[in-house]
Amino acid sequence: MSRKALVISPELCIGCRGCQTACKSWNQLSAAKTTNKGTVENPPDLTPNLYNKIRYVEVPSESNPVRWLFVSQRCMHCDDAGCMKICPAPGALFKTKEGAVGFDKEKCIGCKLCVAGCPFNIPRYDEKDKITKCNLCSDRIAEGLEPACAKTCPTGAISYGDRNSLIGKAQGAGYQKLYGEADLGGLGVLYAFKDAPKVYGMEENPAIPESVIFWHKVLKPLAYWGLGGAVVASLVHYVAFGPKKDEEVK
Amino acid sequence: MANMVKKANAFEILNHWVMAVSFIILAATGFGFLFHLEQLNSIFGNFNAMKLWHNWSGVVFAVSLFFTIFHYLPVSLSLGSDDIAWISKAGGYFSKKAVVPPQDRLNTGQKLLYLIVLTVGTAIAVSGLIIWLRPAAADIRKWVLLSHLVHNIGFVLMVTIIPLHIYLATLANPGTFRIMVYGTVPLEWAKKRHAKWVQKMGF
Amino acid sequence: MTNHWIDVKNADVILVMGANPAENHPISMKWIMQAREQRGAKLIVVDPRFTRTASKANIYAPMRSGADIAFLGGMINYILKNRLYFREYVANYTNAAYLVNPDFKGPGQLDGIFSGYDEKTRKYDKKTWAFQLDEKGLPKKDMTLKDPNCVFQLLRKHYSRYTLDKVSAITGTPKEKLVEVYKTYGSTGKPNRVGTELYAMGWTQHTVGTQNIKAMTIIQLLLGNIGLAGGGINALRGESNVQGSTDHALLFHLLPGYLPASKASLVDLKTYIEKLTPKTKDPKSVNWWGNRGKYITSYLKAIYGGNATKDNDFGYAYLPKLNEGQNGSWLVLFDQMFKGKFEGFFAWGQNPACSGANAGKVRKALTTLKWMVNVNLFDNETGSFWKGPDMKPQEIQTEVFQLPCSSSVEKEGSLTNSGRLAQWRYKAVEPIGEARPDSEIMNELYFRVKKLYQKQGGKFPAPIINLTWNYGEKGADGKIKKLDIHRVAKEINGYYLEDVFDKKAAPPKQIGKKGHLATNFVTLQADGTTSCGNWIYSGSYTEKEDKVINMMARRGKKDIGGLGMYPEWAWCWPVNRRILYNRASVNPDGKPWDPKRTVIKWNPNKLDPKTKKPAPGWDGDVPDGPAPPMADEKGKYPFIMRADGMGAIFGPGLADGPFPEHYEPLECPVQENPLSKKHRINPTVKLFYGTTGPHDEPKKEGGSAEDIFYSCDIRFPYVATTYRVSEHWQTGVLTRHEPWQMEMMPQQFVEIGKELAAEKGIKNGDKITVSSGRGKVWAIAMVTDRFKPFKVMNATVHQVGLPWCFGWQYPENGSGGDSANLLTPTIGDANTLIPETKAFMVNIEKA
Repeated sequence: MSRKALVISPELCIGCRGCQTACKSWNQLSAAKTTNKGTVENPPDLTPNLYNKIRYVEVPSESNPVRWLFVSQRCMHCDDAGCMKICPAPGALFKTKEGAVGFDKEKCIGCKLCVAGCPFNIPRYDEKDKITKCNLCSDRIAEGLEPACAKTCPTGAISYGDRNSLIGKAQGAGYQKLYGEADLGGLGVLYAFKDAPKVYGMEENPAIPESVIFWHKVLKPLAYWGLGGAVVASLVHYVAFGPKKDEEVK
Repeated sequence: MANMVKKANAFEILNHWVMAVSFIILAATGFGFLFHLEQLNSIFGNFNAMKLWHNWSGVVFAVSLFFTIFHYLPVSLSLGSDDIAWISKAGGYFSKKAVVPPQDRLNTGQKLLYLIVLTVGTAIAVSGLIIWLRPAAADIRKWVLLSHLVHNIGFVLMVTIIPLHIYLATLANPGTFRIMVYGTVPLEWAKKRHAKWVQKMGF
Repeated sequence: MTNHWIDVKNADVILVMGANPAENHPISMKWIMQAREQRGAKLIVVDPRFTRTASKANIYAPMRSGADIAFLGGMINYILKNRLYFREYVANYTNAAYLVNPDFKGPGQLDGIFSGYDEKTRKYDKKTWAFQLDEKGLPKKDMTLKDPNCVFQLLRKHYSRYTLDKVSAITGTPKEKLVEVYKTYGSTGKPNRVGTELYAMGWTQHTVGTQNIKAMTIIQLLLGNIGLAGGGINALRGESNVQGSTDHALLFHLLPGYLPASKASLVDLKTYIEKLTPKTKDPKSVNWWGNRGKYITSYLKAIYGGNATKDNDFGYAYLPKLNEGQNGSWLVLFDQMFKGKFEGFFAWGQNPACSGANAGKVRKALTTLKWMVNVNLFDNETGSFWKGPDMKPQEIQTEVFQLPCSSSVEKEGSLTNSGRLAQWRYKAVEPIGEARPDSEIMNELYFRVKKLYQKQGGKFPAPIINLTWNYGEKGADGKIKKLDIHRVAKEINGYYLEDVFDKKAAPPKQIGKKGHLATNFVTLQADGTTSCGNWIYSGSYTEKEDKVINMMARRGKKDIGGLGMYPEWAWCWPVNRRILYNRASVNPDGKPWDPKRTVIKWNPNKLDPKTKKPAPGWDGDVPDGPAPPMADEKGKYPFIMRADGMGAIFGPGLADGPFPEHYEPLECPVQENPLSKKHRINPTVKLFYGTTGPHDEPKKEGGSAEDIFYSCDIRFPYVATTYRVSEHWQTGVLTRHEPWQMEMMPQQFVEIGKELAAEKGIKNGDKITVSSGRGKVWAIAMVTDRFKPFKVMNATVHQVGLPWCFGWQYPENGSGGDSANLLTPTIGDANTLIPETKAFMVNIEKA
């Protein structure tokens, strides 16, 4: 199956947060008791019960009092996912056939390493220390439906579909390059930004933390080589030099 | 029966075994996590149980590591010219003719091993606790990543060094292993290998 | 809406003023953004606050609340000065060429008023506003538009006073922004350019609300934007079915289908028809309201059935009558209630204790009631008013009945959206507990009230006893067991009670069979042979070839010309016409002004689909009448609902003047009207407190202390406005019980500009008190760049804004705050009495 993706277009997003509610509704996530902190944005951060949140970004504008941008924050469904890379529990995080990063709370061991391994700081853990995050409504997309957020979006700011054709469509609409097109092996949630990503509060070149890469590329093999080497060296030594027999010791 | 001298008391022996067993569990589960070894499920049941084994073995390991301080740290820190000479002769492991300088209760290799185990073990324990307990801090994700790195570097060092230690304490040096069983060694055996210690003890 | 939601995608320029669709009508943004993205349309947002809609605008122009007419007047002036108007359209389709009585004088000559004003009655004698008539009784015209008494020249004269400098000084909008907006919107005066306007409560809830819209109508007529796809004047309705309830006579002065309510002076049906039916002597004018007699008679037949006979004047006497000059609008009702004139009150699907202007007064008014019935999904601030803040329950005698009703998804029925599209909806789930659909509650109520009248007689039982109520199978007690909503829909559509013939045809042609559902309102009769509950809905539930069809339940997806009209999707009043006044979308020869946006087109080669014989006619949308184009001998004018068939640039029908004139809100930051010293506020509004705007000590003249207001008063120095947010629905009764919505928008807030906040030492997130002459509320300060200070008449004016979706009753711990309507004044529009809640004065202090 071809990889599926979302394209999020802040230019089309009106900040109505229909997607924030639709996500909660479909995934049956409870609400938190919040207070108004002097901003429309609420809750202040993703939580185990908030997979998708609209960030309200205010940046200076020349012609207007302010430039107000609305950006959906959620799991990016990286092809090369930091969370999956660092996860010690097989099957806790997995790729669905549509290319989404799914999670299985049964298999999650609650180590929370994924929280640190994610370049976008997305995963949260629930009261049982199990991972929670957007899973691209994997139950819906498996049935050929679009994710709840895309379904409810009134303006088409969240569009779901075949990743390649979405990219093609965006190019047709004048977006030379989508955010996440090539990052991390290609994100499953792409952003049609008109300006530099940092304007929208996103990192320019998102990447899996270097330490995780180093661990993955160097330390993991070294662990094998180290253990194996030690055993082999011992054997070789035993054969070549033999034990220090008492009578030989001076 | 030859003249025996006591080299390790019961507590030291017990502590060493506790450490050894916890280490093996830690190393095995560690490999399991690292390489998603689902075969280990036949031992631990599942990865959730494995994580419990790993974490609590870590606690046991850390406690036993703490007690080793009383057993090995003072002697390990008493490094001198003899130790340098020992190193220059590679402890005599690569030549039957080499004559190594007289050694204390622990030989230079054992001292160094201990210092490494103490340092790396502490680092692993502390980093493990940080990953496990995630103390509230603004940049906890960075701390966890650092801990993850430290934990894994420590892991690589440990799984490399400890097998060597096991080899050296068993096959490579007949007569050594009994210390961890009976705590005693023949005086003559000790004199050859730990002359300084034997001397200090007044035998 | 003259047009419809989807049609917004066809616009070249979209002016959003007096509305905030991104937050209150999110789905409309789909079409707005489509117009922007796909046709490069320009979105202009004019609003005191930089809203979520403004964030999507090509041009945002800030404007002080209550200065819309100044802003739009400036635009009219700009359009005329720069000759941006669509001359052919203006000359042919509007009353621009009409000559007005030479005695007519405007506010420029009379210091703020039009000729004919009577200060005592606060009303106009409109004699001088009349058109000059020729010997045939038709308005005199000057097609060159040069006569100084012609509407076009009067318009020019009137708005020449609205110079850029003056407008900027009144509105606080920077001059260059004004020019940018005027130029961009003015660009739609070309035949191939179309602009649309979207408004909502930001325009209506002012003392000059009707005139705000009238001003835009003038602009749209000048630019030739009415009747075209992508054009029109589009009211964004605040609830999904407000259009439907308005169509069905929600307002006190109307009967269903915008027939005027009866009043005492209209003693019988003949008088009603004679007095209220507009007449024209112009053969080219369709004057559709000339059919009023058919519609009122069919209406009476619908509600009184067999009890409405020729002999009893079709039961006309049963209709409730307004006394002469009686006003039953919201403000007046609650004022009367406040004064103890009511015994009982049905609060049906509403929450006046939060939604009503000057909610503190409304809450006090409720205490005077003997009984109140609160029909709602949840208890609310209205149902529990007696235990609200500052109430003494032990002193309140009101007995409150709470009737739980089902929600919109728990019942079947039709719903009419802003675009007049009536869509049938089905029941998704059963109502919870004892909740019942409103119609079932009404059925029960009707049965019981009728029984009482039958038993006890009462003063005038006939109107109730004689009502038809054939909405289902009756039990032994005569009560409908289960109300069949389809029968209601059919009654609204209407029936042929006899065989009906077109008597104009020779020989008379049968157009309706006895006992069948009416085809449409064209076939309704004034002789009692047809019934129709609401003439504009005639055709919504009809018969085709003897098969009953619920047109509102249709779900066809065929379109016409890619314009998004979807004529087979549900059903649109009138007669499934998707764009009103569409005859104005073509030139007098019937050719579309813009062939790329063909709404209708005259087709001289059209064939009759059945006989295949030539039958010239219209292609496209259902035209405003089948008559040939205007230039044809038998042609008709495009604005068929107007007696003269012309778009009214000069509108003598309104209470406050034929041209919109800027007046300040009741409470405003300036001492006097910058345009005229004498009349600060609309001279024709009904005053509840005092006769003049008190600048210092308010005087009590016939009003109550609750109606007090403070204009240009140092104690209340900041302009305020109220609004809704995407996250809550109206007063929040539905959404405050919805934890997901509360999580996003948990508490009352007030948006304050950074400059004002700095002045007052207020920090973002501080709890502050907002107060007006009527009351106060606490709110969390949202210190923001989205409000900027205005430069009004050389002074700095700050504006703040707060939503009215919160109430004390829920959340139960009071953490949400209370309604912003505790602050708003008791004053309404001169024509409609819609309360002025969008511009008033407040103070803010740290709590």
